[in-house]
Amino acid sequence: MSDSGITDLFNMSTPEKEGLEDLIRKLDLLGIEGPNLCFQCSKCTSGCESMKLLELQPHAVMASAKDGFIEEIMNSDLIWACIGCYKCKERCPQEMSPVELMFIIKNRYVAIGKPVPGDYQTMLQNMISKGFIQDPRDVVDRNNRNNDRNSLRLPEIRGPEDKKHFSEVLSRIAVEEL
Amino acid sequence: MEKKIGLFLGCVIPTEQYGYEMSIREIMKEFDVELVDVPNISCCGGPFKSINIFMQIYLSARNIAIFEKKGLDIYAPCPQCHLSLSETKKRMKDSPSLAKRVRSRLEEEEGLLYNGDVRIYHTIDLFHDAIGLDVMKEKVKHPLPWNIACHYGCQTIRYSGADRPDAAEHPLKMEEIIRVLGGSTRDYSEKLNCCGGPLITTHKDAAYTTAGEKLKAVNDRGFDALSIVCPYGGRMMDSKQEKAGEVMGEKLHIPVFYLTQLIGLSLGMSPGRLGLDLNLSPVEELLIRDHFLQTP
Repeated sequence: MSDSGITDLFNMSTPEKEGLEDLIRKLDLLGIEGPNLCFQCSKCTSGCESMKLLELQPHAVMASAKDGFIEEIMNSDLIWACIGCYKCKERCPQEMSPVELMFIIKNRYVAIGKPVPGDYQTMLQNMISKGFIQDPRDVVDRNNRNNDRNSLRLPEIRGPEDKKHFSEVLSRIAVEEL
Repeated sequence: MEKKIGLFLGCVIPTEQYGYEMSIREIMKEFDVELVDVPNISCCGGPFKSINIFMQIYLSARNIAIFEKKGLDIYAPCPQCHLSLSETKKRMKDSPSLAKRVRSRLEEEEGLLYNGDVRIYHTIDLFHDAIGLDVMKEKVKHPLPWNIACHYGCQTIRYSGADRPDAAEHPLKMEEIIRVLGGSTRDYSEKLNCCGGPLITTHKDAAYTTAGEKLKAVNDRGFDALSIVCPYGGRMMDSKQEKAGEVMGEKLHIPVFYLTQLIGLSLGMSPGRLGLDLNLSPVEELLIRDHFLQTP
């Protein structure tokens, strides 16, 4: 547990009681068990889609979380390798959810203002300003002709009716924590 | 089922995976289902679970409330949208404190009332359960002569607690639909493997390798084609099939169809109406060989 007094000698990090309590409270709000019941059976890791290529080991994340090393998990790039396939949640015999535990830790990473990796920043800006993560793209067909919604006779996408208001609302919601 | 249903396409289908949208709009007419394009909808929030789960729940609840106001059930052909909406509906029901907060934020910010009293369909259960295999069978004019591998997509079937359209570990509804359309299919051990789609946001090469490995497995097992029901699957395994092959150093050659395109073909519709010109995987050879398309 978080008061175990363990120090990780690789990076000298120590457990965080408040971080673990906050994590457990947020999981509980979503109806998910905290990491305490994990007995390291590794069913999550054996099915993990990101294990093969990116060496994400959900059972190791669970062990660290159980011991309160929340900040250490947060600072690991590995949590961004989770694909969100939900196999770990589906297969956990203790009905825990490594995927959602990692979501909550990533939420905290974003909330304290750390740089959001990959394309998330662009997706977020598009969603807040226009309602969707990307604009309609022109696509090329097999005969190298260019196509858009109009040429394909698809109706216009409208999105939020009052975009300015939607954008203000989402800017507020985006910084509210669970 | 109701003959009128609200269409919730999400972000990826109406901005790049036009073949899925075109085939959906075309085949629904044949089943006398009226699709309603509801104004004011937005992203479901699903892509932002890593960024802020509260925002994801807010966005899903917002969209559900908009459909509720119109008195319409929802058809969400994107599995990520379908999961985000279904999961939010369930969480709002199970957690009174969460529901209270989200409801009051929706009302004060946008004047929206949320009850959570809508049904949410995906392509799989809409055809298999609501429209029904018998009704589909009667309409088949041009049976599919192909051996087709089914790819459900991760969030179509997982996780079980969030009202998914088919079973998490042994889904079979797509196979049953394919057989009704005249096609043959069988299980394969990579069936539940991911296409790598969501990884494209942060780990591009790993995403393409994941897609390529799945396609290689389908190829090696001798299937004629792959059937999908997810726009991320379409992006990774159809639009980007060549790129996936390059990244993993393999020549991939798998025709990939949306299930809705296969339904349309079996109903005798022209490939052009179903958006099949937009599939970048090698679908043309099969279509010409088996007389779904005249030689150009």
